[in-house]
Amino acid sequence: MKVLPSDPAPARGPASAMIEIDHVSQTFRTSGRQAHLALSDISLTIEDGAFVSILGPSGCGKSTLLYIVGGFVSPTEGEARVKGRAITGPGPDRGPVFQEFALFPWKTVLGNVMYGPRQQGVKSAEAEAQSRRLIEMVGLKGFENFYPKELSGGMKQRVALARTLAYHPAVLLMDEPFGALDAHTRTRLQNDLLNIWERDRKTVLFVTHSVDEAVFLSDKVVVMTRAPGRIKQIVDIELPRPRRRAELLLDPRYQKYVVEIERMIDDTSEDGLQP
Amino acid sequence: MNARALTSDILLGVIPIALAIAVWQGISSFGYAPVTLLPPPGMVFSRLVQQLFTSSFQHEIASTLFRLFAGFSIAVILGVGIGLAAAASPAVNAVVRPIVRVLAPLPKVALYPALLLLLGFGHESKITLVAADALFPILLSTYYGASMVEQKLIWSAMAAGTPRRQILFKVVLPAAVPSILTGCRIGLVISCIVVFLAEMISSTDGLGHMLVKAARTFQAVDMFVPLITISLLGLILNGLLQGLRSYLLRGFPEV
Amino acid sequence: MMARALSRLAPLLAVLGLLAIWQAGSLMLNTESFPTAIQAVRAVPSILGDQESLIHILDSLRRMAIAFAAALLFAIPLGLMMGRSRLVASFFNPLLMITYPVPKAALMPIIMLWLGVGDLAKMLVIFLGVSLPVIYHSFQGARAVEEKMLWSGAAMGLSAPQRMVRIVLPAALPEILTGCRTGLVLALITMVTSEMIARQSGAGNILFNALDMGQYDTVYAMIIIIGAMGIGLDAAFERLRSRLVRWSEPGFDIPLSFA
Repeated sequence: MKVLPSDPAPARGPASAMIEIDHVSQTFRTSGRQAHLALSDISLTIEDGAFVSILGPSGCGKSTLLYIVGGFVSPTEGEARVKGRAITGPGPDRGPVFQEFALFPWKTVLGNVMYGPRQQGVKSAEAEAQSRRLIEMVGLKGFENFYPKELSGGMKQRVALARTLAYHPAVLLMDEPFGALDAHTRTRLQNDLLNIWERDRKTVLFVTHSVDEAVFLSDKVVVMTRAPGRIKQIVDIELPRPRRRAELLLDPRYQKYVVEIERMIDDTSEDGLQP
Repeated sequence: MNARALTSDILLGVIPIALAIAVWQGISSFGYAPVTLLPPPGMVFSRLVQQLFTSSFQHEIASTLFRLFAGFSIAVILGVGIGLAAAASPAVNAVVRPIVRVLAPLPKVALYPALLLLLGFGHESKITLVAADALFPILLSTYYGASMVEQKLIWSAMAAGTPRRQILFKVVLPAAVPSILTGCRIGLVISCIVVFLAEMISSTDGLGHMLVKAARTFQAVDMFVPLITISLLGLILNGLLQGLRSYLLRGFPEV
Repeated sequence: MMARALSRLAPLLAVLGLLAIWQAGSLMLNTESFPTAIQAVRAVPSILGDQESLIHILDSLRRMAIAFAAALLFAIPLGLMMGRSRLVASFFNPLLMITYPVPKAALMPIIMLWLGVGDLAKMLVIFLGVSLPVIYHSFQGARAVEEKMLWSGAAMGLSAPQRMVRIVLPAALPEILTGCRTGLVLALITMVTSEMIARQSGAGNILFNALDMGQYDTVYAMIIIIGAMGIGLDAAFERLRSRLVRWSEPGFDIPLSFA
């Protein structure tokens, strides 16, 4: 597939590896003392500034892979590295955004967003100014003093994104972030996420089970098989940016990607049907 | 709509209380029960109001409240502390869990004679009994709340750069506050009950002692006064805790 | 396997540990009013062997059992109805709020005034003490039953009372049983306290008579006996509970007990 010449290549030096996942396997012990292989020998390199989606049926271990990169879960075998250093735990260079939002219910919107900078030792006044800017950027100006319970799901996820962006992670780890939202809100948030991403081109690792969402957002889609999770194929999405959803839907290249990946998923889903 | 529903709820709730007082009044005014057994409500309440302004009655209330608060505070400090520690550390958990399992269903009132022998008949034995009784609901709900904290809340804080040892105070404790307050509410009611009982069993002052003193001389009116007082105290304290709760939990979703 | 055996033994170890602390404490204090754990445990058989004491204790248990059963029969239906009808709930709720902080055993002197010092007064007090937590938990349990479950029941042709018995009751059962467990410990506490106040018969009477007469071994032995009753009854009830509601996760695996 040819890339349009008008496609603006990001102005930066040679792409360097931001995240390396090196022969990672993950086994969980279930209650009956049975070992359950969730991830099997995954190797993947994610370049700095890339938007990479991990796509697969539920139970394929895609979230587990994200948690390993986050440092929340340590792999049974293999190693994950960020900027060449082995990951031993969570750190502010990798910021998670969860499907469940996981906002602190006892803090206001501003309090939630300020938490990271304050934790990094940024002075209160400065952290507040930064946070207010971020809240405005995610479109929640005027809601600074609201509590999470007073916001809709989409607004909560905007706060969660602002909270993570506030401590300037090099990598955004997004765990089905729009999975709990209605279709309309989901589309708006996808657009807004892309707009924000276009500005500073952070590395994004995005877990989803929506083919459509993966193709629309990503540079690369990693398709996984059902348990045990293995990488089935990596698809480079060579669509021009900035992307407009309404235009893309009519674009035959976009449609082709979607259909191609749907087929791969169909194959893997059938595996899962066997008893 | 809500306000109106609330008003009608309150009106409906007043009916059985009014009814109870009316029946009470009826029984005594139609002479079904002699005044020595069941004094009419008007007599009891006027006695209560009259008593409220005497310094001796104020003294009784003060000593009851002192024991109640002292015991309750000890229970809160110990309960929240041990509960958090048990949720945070598997080693502490392994020790605390079986001990709590044994001590929680133990009827603490039965320990009171031992407390009397060990700590004497003063404040100490009563405060200890109140603390021992209020401790377990607070401890258990703290432990329960702290071990139920959403994993992703902790992950979010860790990713933002919170060191592991700060997670307990920055995330687990605030997230467990709703559950802790539920425990405190149960603990407070228990404290009211236990302090009164302890004073009934052995005391020289306090509301419980007033009841026993009145019972010895068959003064039915004076028996009702301390009972109504403790009920009102319970309601007021519960209201205060409820106020604190809605302030502290203003961010949390309604349960 | 090893770990599981250890966790089953843990409560036993805890008992032994607490007794050891007691033993060490009393050896250290060395006062007459605080006998050692061994002395107290030795006094237990002599109390249980004494026919009069045994009759006293069995009397207590009989009163408790009758009052507990009566309270369940009264409190569970009331709580369930409160949970399913807003009208019933707002009618009874304030009344319960007022009576909750009143120590039920403290009603003893007044009830004795009306009913005398006999069994009836004591059973009435236990009945009142048990009813409140059972009503409260049945209320909470019934309120949490999902509306759609009842709609399905109605669609299957169940009448309102049938829905109550066949849907609300089983769905609320875990919560009801939690209330019963609290109620059971409460029954024991109220039993002891009421007997302390109306000194006539029962376990509480033995305990406090011994205290007055300075028979310290008996005081501590009675504490052990009453404590063992509490722990034993609770453990037995917990077994029953986990069999009845195997499908449900326990909310608290330790009861919230209080006076």
